[in-house]
Amino acid sequence: MSLLSLALSLVFLLLSFLAPNTLTAFLGLGALGVAAFARLEPRVRTLNLALLTLAFTLFLRSSGNTLGLIGLVGILVALTTLPRIPRGIRVALGLAILLLSVPIAGFANTFIFELGIQIGIFAAMSLGLNVVVGMAGLLDLGYAAFFAVGAYTWAIFGSPQAGKFLQGNFPLPGEYMYLFMLIAVVTTAITGLLIGLPALRLRGDYLAIVTLGLGEVVRILANNLDHPINITNGPQGITPVGRPPIDWFRSLMGALGVRLDETTDYQLFFYLLVLVMIGLVVLANVNLANSRFGRAWVAIREDEIAAQAMGIPLLPTKLIAFMTGAAFSGVMGVIYGAQRTFVSPESFTLLASITILAMVILGGMGSIPGAILGAAALTILNLDILKTFSEFVRTSLPWIPSQVDPAKYERLVFGLILILMMIYRPQGLIPEARHRAELEEEA
Amino acid sequence: MKVLEVQGVTKRFGGLVAVNQVSLEVNEGEIFSVIGPNGAGKTTFFNLLTGIYTPDEGRILFLGQDITGSTPDKAAKLGIGRTFQNIRLFGAMTVLENILVGRHIHTRVPYLHALLRTPLARKEERKALEEALSLLEYVGLLHRKDELARNLPYGEQRKLEIARALALKPKLLLLDEPAAGMNPKETEALQEFILKIRSERGLTILLIEHDMRLVMRISDRIAVLDYGSKIAEGKPEEVRKNPRVIEAYLGRGAAGGAA
Ligand SMILES: Nc1ncnc2c1ncn2[C@@H]1O[C@H](COP(=O)(O)OP(=O)(O)OP(=O)(O)O)[C@@H](O)[C@H]1O
Ligand SMILES: [Mg+2]
Repeated sequence: MSLLSLALSLVFLLLSFLAPNTLTAFLGLGALGVAAFARLEPRVRTLNLALLTLAFTLFLRSSGNTLGLIGLVGILVALTTLPRIPRGIRVALGLAILLLSVPIAGFANTFIFELGIQIGIFAAMSLGLNVVVGMAGLLDLGYAAFFAVGAYTWAIFGSPQAGKFLQGNFPLPGEYMYLFMLIAVVTTAITGLLIGLPALRLRGDYLAIVTLGLGEVVRILANNLDHPINITNGPQGITPVGRPPIDWFRSLMGALGVRLDETTDYQLFFYLLVLVMIGLVVLANVNLANSRFGRAWVAIREDEIAAQAMGIPLLPTKLIAFMTGAAFSGVMGVIYGAQRTFVSPESFTLLASITILAMVILGGMGSIPGAILGAAALTILNLDILKTFSEFVRTSLPWIPSQVDPAKYERLVFGLILILMMIYRPQGLIPEARHRAELEEEA
Repeated sequence: MKVLEVQGVTKRFGGLVAVNQVSLEVNEGEIFSVIGPNGAGKTTFFNLLTGIYTPDEGRILFLGQDITGSTPDKAAKLGIGRTFQNIRLFGAMTVLENILVGRHIHTRVPYLHALLRTPLARKEERKALEEALSLLEYVGLLHRKDELARNLPYGEQRKLEIARALALKPKLLLLDEPAAGMNPKETEALQEFILKIRSERGLTILLIEHDMRLVMRISDRIAVLDYGSKIAEGKPEEVRKNPRVIEAYLGRGAAGGAA
C-alpha cells in the first residue's frame, strides 16, 4: 500500500512536468485521496503529503488549472486533521502551501488569487458565524447584514460618497482602511446589539425568522438610503472604494525578489492580508472557545435552563456571541469592499447569509477547521467547479441542450450537496472535537 | 440563622394552584426535606425559589434578602445551587467542562482578556482547572473527566449534577429527587454523600425525595405538600405519625410501593 501510494504521487509529480492537464489533476487528487485515507505508516504519509504539495505547486505553476488549488486545500485539510504527523511538518508544509504554493499559482493564473481571497474572506466570516451558530446554537439567518455594515462603513468614507452628505475632504486616504477595520468592529458590534436585543429574546425558529427579517432590513436600507439624503448610493452601489497604498509592500516584495505587476501586486497584498486576518480570527476563536465565554455559549446551546442555574445570564451571554460574530464579519466586509473597490446591496442578500451558514454546517458546527474547509469547498464550488463543468459541457457535449447547463442550476447543485451531507454526514466534514469523540465511541 | 424564609407563596397555572400559600423557614446547616404525592407542587416550589417562576403571591427571602421574582442566574449568583428532577447536564460537554461551567461565576475573566488570552485569563483558567479537578476528585469522578456527560451511567450523571451545583459554591443546595432510579445500595452511598457535603462544605440542603427511608434518616425537618398546600411540618418522627400525612401520602406511598 505504501509503495503504491508513493508511486502514485511520483507519477503525478512527473506528469505535472510533462502533461499538466485536467486528467493529470484528477490523478493527483486520486493520489491525495490514497495518501489521506489508505492505511499508511505515518512517516510514509507525511512524505507523501510533502511530495504532493510539491507536485500540485508545479502543476499549478505550469497550468494555472484551479483543480490544483483543490488539491492544495485537500492537503491543508489532511495536515490539520490526520493524526500522527509531526507538528513541525504540519506547520512547515501548511505555511509553504499558503505562502509559496498559492502565490506561485496566483502568478500563473490570477483567478487563483481571486479564489484564495474569496475563500479567505468567507472562511473568516464562517468562523464568526461559527461562534453564533456552532457554539452558542443561535440560528442566525441574517448574518450577511454585518458583512454589509462593515463593507459600507469603509465604502462610504473611502470613496467620494461621504462628500454627498457630509462636509469635508472625501475620499479619505487609503491608509484609513486599517483604521476603518477597527471602526467596523465597533459599528458591526453595535448593529449586532441592535439586532440582537429584540431578536435574542426569541428561541429557535423564531430567532431564525426574526434575524432573517432584520438582515433583509439592513440590505433594503442599503438599497434605499440614496434619498432623501444619499448615504449608500442605492442599488448602483459605491465605487471606487479606496485601497491602502502599498508602495512599502512592493518594495518589500522587491527586496524578497518577487516581481509584481499592476494586477498581481494588490492581489498578493490582499491575499496575504486575508491570511493574516484568518490567523487572528482563528486565534480569537480558539481563545474564546477555551474561556468562560465559550463554555457558557456551549452550555446555553445544550440546555438554557441548566445554564441559567449555573449563574449564566441568557440575554447578555447570547448578545456577546452575536456581537463577536458580527465584528468578525464586519472586518472582513471592509477588506471585501476595498479589494473589489466596489460595494453594492446585491452582495448581501439572504442567499449570502445562507451560503455562509451552509459553510458552517458543511464543515461541522462548532469546528474551527471545519468552518474553514466549508468556506473553501463552497467557494470553489460556486466560483469554479460549476462554471468549469458547464464550460466542459458546452464545449465537449454540445448535444446537451443549454437549458440544462449546470451553471444555471448552481443553487440546485448546492442544495443537493447539502441534502446529501445532512443524510450521510450530518455532523459535517470535520466535526467539532466533542462530536468526534462521540462518533468514535459509536463506531 | 435563617438561610431561607418563604412567606405565603402561591403559584397558579391557569386554574390550577400548584403552590398554595406555602410558608416555611430553613435554618443554616439543616437538611430540610419537602415531600408529598406526585403533582403536589414540590418541583414548582423549587422553581419559585430559583427564579424559574415568579410567585403570584408571597415573598421569598434568602439570607435576609428579598429574592422574590429574581431570575435564575441571579439566584445562582446569590448562592442557590440546584439539581433537576430529570437530570439536565450539558450532554455534549465533557465531565470536566460541566464542572467548569458550574464555576462560571467564579471565573472572573473580562471579555477582552478572554479574547486575547492575557496572563490574567491564563491565571484564572488555571485556577478554574485546578479547582474543577479537585472537586472531581472529591466526588470520585476524576477518572471520568474527559468523557462526555451524556455517556456516563445514570448514577454518575446524578452525582455529576450535584458536583456541578457544588462548583457554584452555593450556600443553599436544592436537590430534586436525587435518589430517583437508584437501587438501595446506591441510595445508601448517596445518603453518605449528602451528609458529607453538608458537613464539609457548610451547606444548607433542601431535598425533594420520594424514598421515605432516605428522607426519614437524613432530614432534620420535613415539610409535606399536598395539592400545593403545606399540610404538615416537623421532625421526621412527628411527620411520620401525623394522621393527615399518612392519609395524604405515606399510606398511599407505601401501598404504591415507593422504593
Ligand atoms: N409549567 C407548568 N404549566 C402548567 N402546569 C404545571 C407546570 N408545572 C407544573 N404544573 C402542574 O403543577 C402541579 C405540580 O407539579 P410539580 O411538578 O411541582 O409536582 P411535584 O410535586 O414535583 O410532582 P412529582 O413528585 O411528580 O415530581 C402538577 O399538577 C403539574 O401538572
Ligand atoms: Mg417534581
